[in-house]
Amino acid sequence: MTVIETRDLRKTFGSTTALDGLDLVVPQGQVHGFLGPNGSGKSTTVRILLGLLRADSGHVRLFGQDAWADATELHRRLAYVPGEVALWPNLTGGEIIDILARMRGGLDEARRRDLLDRFDLDPSKKSRTYSKGNRQKVAVVAAFASRAELFLLDEPTSGLDPLMEAEFQRCVHEVKAGGATVLLSSHILAEAEALSDRVSIIKHGRVVQSGSLTDLRHLTRTTVTAETAAPATSLTAMSGVHQPEFDDGRVTFDVDSDDLDEVIAALSRLGLRSLTAHPPTLEELFLRHYGEEIQVEAPTRGDGAR
Amino acid sequence: MSGGLTGTGHLARLILRRDRVRLPAWTLGLGGLIAASALAVPGFYDTPEKVAGYAATVGASPVSLLMSGRQTGIETIGGITANEISQVAQIGICLMVTFLVVRHTRAEEESGRAELLRSTVLGRHAAAVAALGYGVLAAVLVGLVTTGSMLGAELDASGSIVYGAGLALLGVCYSAIALVAAQLSTSARGALAIAGGAVTVGYLVRGLGAMQDNAAVWLSPFGWAQAMNSFGEERWWPAALLVVATAALLGVAAHLTTRRDFAGGFIHPRPGHPRASAALASPLGLATRLLRGRLIGWGVGLTLLAMVYGAVVPTVPDLLESNPDIADYIGAGSDAESAIVEAFLRYVLLFLAVIGTGYGVSAVLLVRTEEESKRVEHVLATRTSRTQWMGAVVVVAAVGSAVLAVLMGAGLAAGYVLGGGGADTALATVGHQLTYLPAVLVVVGFAAAVVGLAPRSPLLAWALALVSGLQVLLGQTLRLPDALQGLSPFWHLPGVPGSSIDPRPGAAELLLAVALVAVGLWAHRRRDLELT
Repeated sequence: MTVIETRDLRKTFGSTTALDGLDLVVPQGQVHGFLGPNGSGKSTTVRILLGLLRADSGHVRLFGQDAWADATELHRRLAYVPGEVALWPNLTGGEIIDILARMRGGLDEARRRDLLDRFDLDPSKKSRTYSKGNRQKVAVVAAFASRAELFLLDEPTSGLDPLMEAEFQRCVHEVKAGGATVLLSSHILAEAEALSDRVSIIKHGRVVQSGSLTDLRHLTRTTVTAETAAPATSLTAMSGVHQPEFDDGRVTFDVDSDDLDEVIAALSRLGLRSLTAHPPTLEELFLRHYGEEIQVEAPTRGDGAR
Repeated sequence: MSGGLTGTGHLARLILRRDRVRLPAWTLGLGGLIAASALAVPGFYDTPEKVAGYAATVGASPVSLLMSGRQTGIETIGGITANEISQVAQIGICLMVTFLVVRHTRAEEESGRAELLRSTVLGRHAAAVAALGYGVLAAVLVGLVTTGSMLGAELDASGSIVYGAGLALLGVCYSAIALVAAQLSTSARGALAIAGGAVTVGYLVRGLGAMQDNAAVWLSPFGWAQAMNSFGEERWWPAALLVVATAALLGVAAHLTTRRDFAGGFIHPRPGHPRASAALASPLGLATRLLRGRLIGWGVGLTLLAMVYGAVVPTVPDLLESNPDIADYIGAGSDAESAIVEAFLRYVLLFLAVIGTGYGVSAVLLVRTEEESKRVEHVLATRTSRTQWMGAVVVVAAVGSAVLAVLMGAGLAAGYVLGGGGADTALATVGHQLTYLPAVLVVVGFAAAVVGLAPRSPLLAWALALVSGLQVLLGQTLRLPDALQGLSPFWHLPGVPGSSIDPRPGAAELLLAVALVAVGLWAHRRRDLELT
């Protein structure tokens, strides 16, 4: 069953185009990484999925229902963690968790206790006194303490320390094991890489690349470091080899996935003494789509399209 | 402690830059209000008889003593003017400096912005001194406007200077009190509450002391400022009390600053409830909780105000008896006493009802502030629909307005009985106050429609409240045309007591209020949330 489906989604704010024909499909039980830098349209997409914003055109369905018209009904089945967590300063964290869970339609008491403990959150403090990380924890605990079928998580770990981030990842695995669907918007690539079954990379309000990590990696290069008996200078001439660097009998280079087999065979003929190769990280995938533009555009592009 | 003041100049410039609108708004707003009264009062007392009448009636009335203290020179036009403006001027200047000083001390620390500044070359005491200097500047500006406007009204020159100086020094003293409050509490709200409490205590102590004519007035900075005897036998030495107190408070604040951690304080917030109460299970519960403090604040303030007005009502006939000129001035013979009392009551009921709309409008605007802060995302990401959420807020606004009407009526009745009036008339005033509720609800409904239709113009939500206020305060005086006065929903209601109660206008206004709310809910459901 398809849980999230958007087709040709468009949204502008004045002269800013936030979404420019966004297509996104997430089937049930999948953890879907939604990747892009600030201002690429991630938060706008999530808010349209929540029915908080109305798309100018296009088609948005959650669980087969219209995200705008049936918003209230849909919200019984989902939980949301916003990227920027604002809380009512004079309510305590515990009170806010309870309110949100009750308004969402029920609270799993054991789960609440367990999560407060795991995230080391004091529920009796007024939220005015919480740090950014603790405010984030309130939203995370409130979301995972519900029995939702869909989790919309908009940069949920900003402000969490590495221990809490690990705890958060365990929570995602738990809800996934329970059959829930997760849309994880992030610019923290390691997080998406650790959790996601599939990722979509969004750029200027449209998805430019979507697939499993294996699919995406196939399109890119592997980084190889080898030590050979004979000098490996002949590699320079081989097709698919990029940026070879020679250093005291060792060579490091990137190679296109399609040429990998041939290049490794050539290395082997030179007398391999050691070989390490690693697949491209998501970081590298990301930079391929954004690398040049981030340098050029980052200073001028604001947060307008969030 | 060396270099404790390093960087104060930089900080002072930053404050002036940040408040380049706020400071003129406060000083010109408050100063303008004072100036308008100072220039208008002499026009009302243009004959020696009227001046003498004021001293014999208002000057001797316990209510006036409670609110404005014992003003010297009350038998001169200068003293009358000082007595008339002092309530607004004194409370206004104290609240102004409290807000300004706390804004640039504790609020900055709480927000974390001060941390950034303190990491630069900035002394430990620079923030406190810069904020105090800023409070002093604002107070002096208001004092200058006051003296200037009094001189403009051709009042006695030395009296005008002494009055303005006393007012400014009162502001200076309360700047220092706010500075100490900002060291004590860890939150800006807490600091405002402490300093606001100090304003209330100082004001009441001076008032009670003046009523009983005893030495208690010397316990309050308000009393010191008044002891300068402007327009009477003027003297400057009480000013020294204000200066010494300011210096001492500054010393206390500096001492506290060195004893506490950055962002720390001496009053620690108590832990709250780790679980939400059963009432907090719905949008209505949440809206009630978020507006509770506001309703309590308005309720206490308006009940006290109503009590003061109620206490004045029984003295109205005495006032007329002692001074027939005033009766003529109001335009009634001595035999129309009851009619005058009724007219006075009618005005007070109307005035209170219009002031009370402030709660309703600000409550409806919660929809807007929750949107702006993005907190509404949490609520609307649950099964709560937009209509349920905004509807809950409007319900709390409307029910709260009704509660306020009952409280104001009861306060008026209680004050009336305490002031020597009969209990039977008193009881009726509660009902009378409620007859103005439909107009209040129209104002609330208008705010709801604005929140739905024009979420980016929250100030527009105040428009109808403002129009109503102007109509009630100035409609008669300025002889505004009916078409203009008719914009105010209060104008269409029968004025009680005094006229027979016709339920039709009230019923029509209730329907209008419901329609306005429906428009607001409909528009709110159809638009994007304003989350950016």
